[in-house]
Amino acid sequence: MAPLKSLEQVCPLIDSNFQTFCASHGIFTVEDFLIHDLYVLAAFAEQQPASEKLKQGITQILSIIDAAERQPWMNGLELLEDAGENKHVLSTGFEGVDVLLGGGLREGQLTEIVGPSSSGKTQVCLRAASNVATNYNAEVFYLDTGNSFSPQRVSGFVNWKPGTALDRTEQSMLQQVMSSISCHSVFDIFAMFDVLHQLEFNLRSQMCKRDRRVQLLIVDSISSLITPILGGSSSQGHALMISAGTLLKKIAHEHNIAVLVTNHTVGGDRGTSKPALGESWKSVPHVRLQLSRGAGSNVCQASILKHSSMPSGMTVRFVIYE
Amino acid sequence: MALSQWIDGDESALGMLARVLKERTSLVVPPLHRVPLRVGNVVELVGPSGSAKTQILIQAAVNCILPKEWNGIRYGGLECPVVFIDLDCRLDITRLSQVLKLRILEAISNGSSNTGDRENFDALYATCLRRFFYIRCYDSFEFLATLKTMHHKLQKERDDLGVGLHLLVIDSIGAYHWVDRGSSSLPLWGHNRKGFSLANVLEAAVEEVRKLLLVHPSIVIASKATIFGDRSSDIVRREESLSESEPRHGKPDGGLVLYREYMPSAWQSFVTHRVFVRGSDEHLTASSCEHQPTYFSEWLLPSLGFLDKFIVKNAGVFLVP
Repeated sequence: MAPLKSLEQVCPLIDSNFQTFCASHGIFTVEDFLIHDLYVLAAFAEQQPASEKLKQGITQILSIIDAAERQPWMNGLELLEDAGENKHVLSTGFEGVDVLLGGGLREGQLTEIVGPSSSGKTQVCLRAASNVATNYNAEVFYLDTGNSFSPQRVSGFVNWKPGTALDRTEQSMLQQVMSSISCHSVFDIFAMFDVLHQLEFNLRSQMCKRDRRVQLLIVDSISSLITPILGGSSSQGHALMISAGTLLKKIAHEHNIAVLVTNHTVGGDRGTSKPALGESWKSVPHVRLQLSRGAGSNVCQASILKHSSMPSGMTVRFVIYE
Repeated sequence: MALSQWIDGDESALGMLARVLKERTSLVVPPLHRVPLRVGNVVELVGPSGSAKTQILIQAAVNCILPKEWNGIRYGGLECPVVFIDLDCRLDITRLSQVLKLRILEAISNGSSNTGDRENFDALYATCLRRFFYIRCYDSFEFLATLKTMHHKLQKERDDLGVGLHLLVIDSIGAYHWVDRGSSSLPLWGHNRKGFSLANVLEAAVEEVRKLLLVHPSIVIASKATIFGDRSSDIVRREESLSESEPRHGKPDGGLVLYREYMPSAWQSFVTHRVFVRGSDEHLTASSCEHQPTYFSEWLLPSLGFLDKFIVKNAGVFLVP
């Protein structure tokens, strides 16, 4: 937010006199203003010579804050309308997973897949990417943190006939699908923030100008970006983790994008395994799905850890390689 | 004359009781049913992620927006507006509408038999949803800005709807804990400037809510996620044995309730009621052969010592014996 000085051009009430008054109370920016008790401030203004003008200034800033709020109040009806019109459900391409998720990945929500190494997390991500790009004519934004994105695998999902040559229409369709999935390699959380802010900026500036829009954002895996910065006595790592979660949810909601992230597991107490991102992260995703797979088997088991409308504990099995 | 009037008093105890009972309607939401919640109460719902906190908040909101009575059918609501401040971007509006719909349908089927009035249902449903207000924040400053500018908007809604705010829901109050803690160490330019520390931000927020409650008397229900896992359990024990106000709470399996207070004292002293909820491993086998996760709730403030068991169904939260 802005320093008070910069507001002077917009409204003449916030003149140098008002600014000196505020500065004497340690208020230099709008944030300072927010943290102060305005009734107390108004009482101080009362004792000043030009009290009327000062009080008008305070009201003026309040109305600026009010206008600057990007999030308007919505009542239940408007919310439902928004959800019905803009928050679609995207199929992942795995029928079993879709059933668990109540239809698929929901736009505006953050879905997390938890599972040990080689439990099929990346496969679900790749399949969802190819499915959304194919069936919804949408763009997919893929953040790859471990060089695990496989274009061959994605193109394999698009056309299912192994061995046979593609005719021209299939070829052009494959090309279109592949070109609508953009993969970005990021290897630390700062690079991710960079890419996400850029994405947010692009989305905002290109709003309603394109025939195809980004509908799915995948981060595979988010835990490998966050675990290195956690730990120690400093809370900086946690702050970054929560900021990343908030940013993802903000992008998801404001631009109607489904976000899919993966989280690996680490050894917990008593030989059990637990998600790498722990207690504080738990409240970030809307939906958490646990994957597991027996050694050598190609059948995955998925169960709900948390969902905003489905009971937790439901389990399905599905096949990743056919 | 004036003197005798003064001696006579204003009203009898019976009259006062009748008036008070009529005016002070209380909100009863399972599993918070042990203590009737009244205007001015600040309830904190604390529990780990996945302990049905948001479901309880939705239930409370639905109970508040439903009418007492509509076309001769009892719905048992309070018929009052609700403001839901979502700090965690978490509310699923379709879930709220599902609960609301099922509640209305249930009341209709229990009530009079002249069904088939589809229009009636739609009108009631829309009226209820119009009493629900939703605000989403992404950081502490947006939260503060929302609180600071809320009064005027509430007044406008009060004029439009005819009744004032009755329930303020905050989900979840500790959402920005880590971010604010991280930013508090940054030095600020300028002397006598208030730092943006966690305590200062929360104190300002509490102050705003307090002032809001003076003008718009209402119930506040805030959820709070526990953000420390099992590993800090030793801290829980030490802290609990030190303080008298937070006595030990035994779990059925002999362990301790694992949660560590992390909110600044300004918030802690603001809270008047505190309930701890958690999930359990046991599943209730329902008749529809689908297993249903069960949850436990426990009153910490006032410390009642009851352990209530509840489940979450499509139509909301239900107590089970």
